[in-house]
Amino acid sequence: MKLSRRQALRGAFGLGATAAVATGAARAESTSATESEQPKASAPIGLLYDTTRCIGCKACVTACTSANGLAPDSGASEGLHQMPQDLNSRTKNIIKLYTSPDGSERSFVKRQCMHCAEPACASGCPFHALRKDPVSGVIGWDGELCIGCRYCEVVCPFEIPKFEWDRFNPKVVKCELCRHLLDAGAAEPACTAACPTDAVIFGRREELLHDAKGRIESSPGKYHQNRVYGEKEAGGTQVLYLSHVPFARIGLPVLEDMSLPEYANRYHRIIYQWMALPAAVYAVMAGVIRARWKKHDHEAMEIERAGGPMDQL
Amino acid sequence: MNAHTTGVARGERAPAPASQVRIRPAYDANASGPSVVNMWQRGVPVDEKLWTPSVIALLVVAAVGIVLAIYRLTGNLGSVSGMTDVYAWGVWKTFNVMTLTALGTGGLSIGAAAWIFGRKDFHVVMRTALVMSLMFYLTGLLALGIDVGRPWNFYHVLMPWKWNVHSSLLEVAVCMPLYATLFLALENLPMLGERLWYYGSNETRARLTALRRPFRGAYPFLIAGAYMLPAMHQSSLGALLLLAGPKVHPLWQTPALPLLYLMQAGICGFGFTIVTLMTSCLVWQRPLDLKVIGALGDWMSRLILVWLGVRFVDLYVRGEVGRVFTFDRYSTLFLIENAMVFVPAVILRSRKFARTPRIVFNMAVMTCIGGMAYRFIPTTVSYDPGHQFSYFPALPELLVMLGLIALAIVGFNLAAKLFAVLPAPFDSWVEAVEWLEVERHQAEAKSHGNAAHD
Ligand code: SF4
Ligand code: SF4
Ligand code: SF4
Repeated sequence: MKLSRRQALRGAFGLGATAAVATGAARAESTSATESEQPKASAPIGLLYDTTRCIGCKACVTACTSANGLAPDSGASEGLHQMPQDLNSRTKNIIKLYTSPDGSERSFVKRQCMHCAEPACASGCPFHALRKDPVSGVIGWDGELCIGCRYCEVVCPFEIPKFEWDRFNPKVVKCELCRHLLDAGAAEPACTAACPTDAVIFGRREELLHDAKGRIESSPGKYHQNRVYGEKEAGGTQVLYLSHVPFARIGLPVLEDMSLPEYANRYHRIIYQWMALPAAVYAVMAGVIRARWKKHDHEAMEIERAGGPMDQL
Repeated sequence: MNAHTTGVARGERAPAPASQVRIRPAYDANASGPSVVNMWQRGVPVDEKLWTPSVIALLVVAAVGIVLAIYRLTGNLGSVSGMTDVYAWGVWKTFNVMTLTALGTGGLSIGAAAWIFGRKDFHVVMRTALVMSLMFYLTGLLALGIDVGRPWNFYHVLMPWKWNVHSSLLEVAVCMPLYATLFLALENLPMLGERLWYYGSNETRARLTALRRPFRGAYPFLIAGAYMLPAMHQSSLGALLLLAGPKVHPLWQTPALPLLYLMQAGICGFGFTIVTLMTSCLVWQRPLDLKVIGALGDWMSRLILVWLGVRFVDLYVRGEVGRVFTFDRYSTLFLIENAMVFVPAVILRSRKFARTPRIVFNMAVMTCIGGMAYRFIPTTVSYDPGHQFSYFPALPELLVMLGLIALAIVGFNLAAKLFAVLPAPFDSWVEAVEWLEVERHQAEAKSHGNAAHD
């Protein structure tokens, strides 16, 4: 059962990849048509995590670390084993445990980049060091372009990008949906491949969403609010969550449906459209100033001719 | 080429011996009647030794900061700062750049009042504002350079095809250096030209005179740009926080942030120019022109009232007025922050108070503190990513911050002595020029004497 489902998903992604090529032409159109400045991914891929299936084995955490060539963070265990306290510059993926104060309610949660449909990080990044792939929608980081301003950390609503504070040549570290593995032909990222219970699965976003809604439908009441987190949050994310406890308790913030780039650029876009307004303001200012300047210049020269002091600008 | 050539040290000038040279111009600045002419008429250099004990003390503070900054640039960010992944921006960005450049907006606000709104009486304080702006912006840029983790990639700023034009940070990164190193620098150039002219040989003078015409021709277009750019990036500094969305408390998080940030910069520009002028007059015992100071205070007070209006209308429109009076930590901060600018605005509406130096000074200081609070709070204090973390700058981080501030003050101090920055009555200018002529004559005589010996 498990195998076949996974194979089905792989098949689905294979199809997705083909579809991606097919929709390549449509992409140019969609980028110019969206009201947001980020290109909408033509074939977005993502993850679906289900708290009710996660057994907290952390196989995905170690798999992620080794797949991404990171040094395991074993600080908290005095070097004995990998034991990150939170996402950090050596940890792109973490399993956390939530326990209610009286211990009656508990849940694991996997945290990594949400691969937002309209990512705040990429929208704020001054030189496109963080950029959304126009096909897969994966947000990747490019060290050639990053100036290390850490604006991405300031704006990410999920607190995902981490910075190497202890290095001279610091990198911005975050889950890039194992794009290096996928590019090399792997069928899925390291974390989903490692997960023994399919608590986290990989696929095309629409299929994952369909799957998640199916789970809600087949057992109503099992999941919090009978809804998928990430379907609409902050403009939608490519990583989706199903949870049996309220989302905020496992650290998924309550967010408006409007994406942050849309909120932030609503007026900005109008003001700076083709630089028309700044240009007009400049022209008006220059006109007014020139009129005043002519008068000033005339007076100043009169004074100088009368033996007065040189005009001080 | 200064007083040392004649053996008369800076700060030791007696009034020029009138019999020796008479260059007092036939022109009488007060001929048109005292009603139109302010007491402050021209910029005149401060006659004081360059390296006073306070300058040296400030240089020591600056040197500590610079050494630590170099240490940071050859090492990493974590070991010198209190920044973390949760509070990824520290005081270098949030204070030196986002807060202090507001104080350095005098070049924009006073310039715009003078040239766009026709306040001719503000021309005389323009240079003070311009030097101040230059110092805050240059040290702000240094802070940015120290703060970015991968500064070697910053050259992309010169390649427009690599820009993310929708990023407010890009706007700041492009606009701010452009403004400081080109527009502000050019605006400050006449001061240098003037010094060169007065100290220069006839050849230098001819060359400067030739340059003067094209410069004056381009001047109105230059300063229009010099008002456009800071208006853009000062508002973009506010826009930076928009993208942080719900992490910034709703009393501060608003689509009006860019406008409020820009206006607050304008207010601080007036406020800090008043503070600088009055402090300089006090320190160097120069006469104060209460008419001009009062007018600056009047503009500041009006702007504050408009700003408060915008702020409360915005709260009302967003339906967040209720939060103002919850008296929790944020509401208290909000109320204090607004009171810090509201009180000065009201007090300066009174004509009597607006002509009382002590009150104007205190009100300007209060406004600057309130304005700085407004610019700083949403970046750090009411920026809450919802963790149990807090941020406080580490000692080296603070020392770099202070070092940069000290550097700015030293820069202003030296500029005020070397160039005709601070405004003074016409007579002081005549006196200064007369002394210059005495020095030139003596230097000439001396060199003739030397020639005779050879
Ligand atoms: S979760 Fe954060 S880092 Fe990931 S895409 Fe969204 S904004 Fe960017
Ligand atoms: S730190 Fe790098 S990736 Fe993050 S916003 Fe700045 S330039 Fe972009
Ligand atoms: S997709 Fe790759 S990088 Fe991201 S959490 Fe999974 S294993 Fe880690």
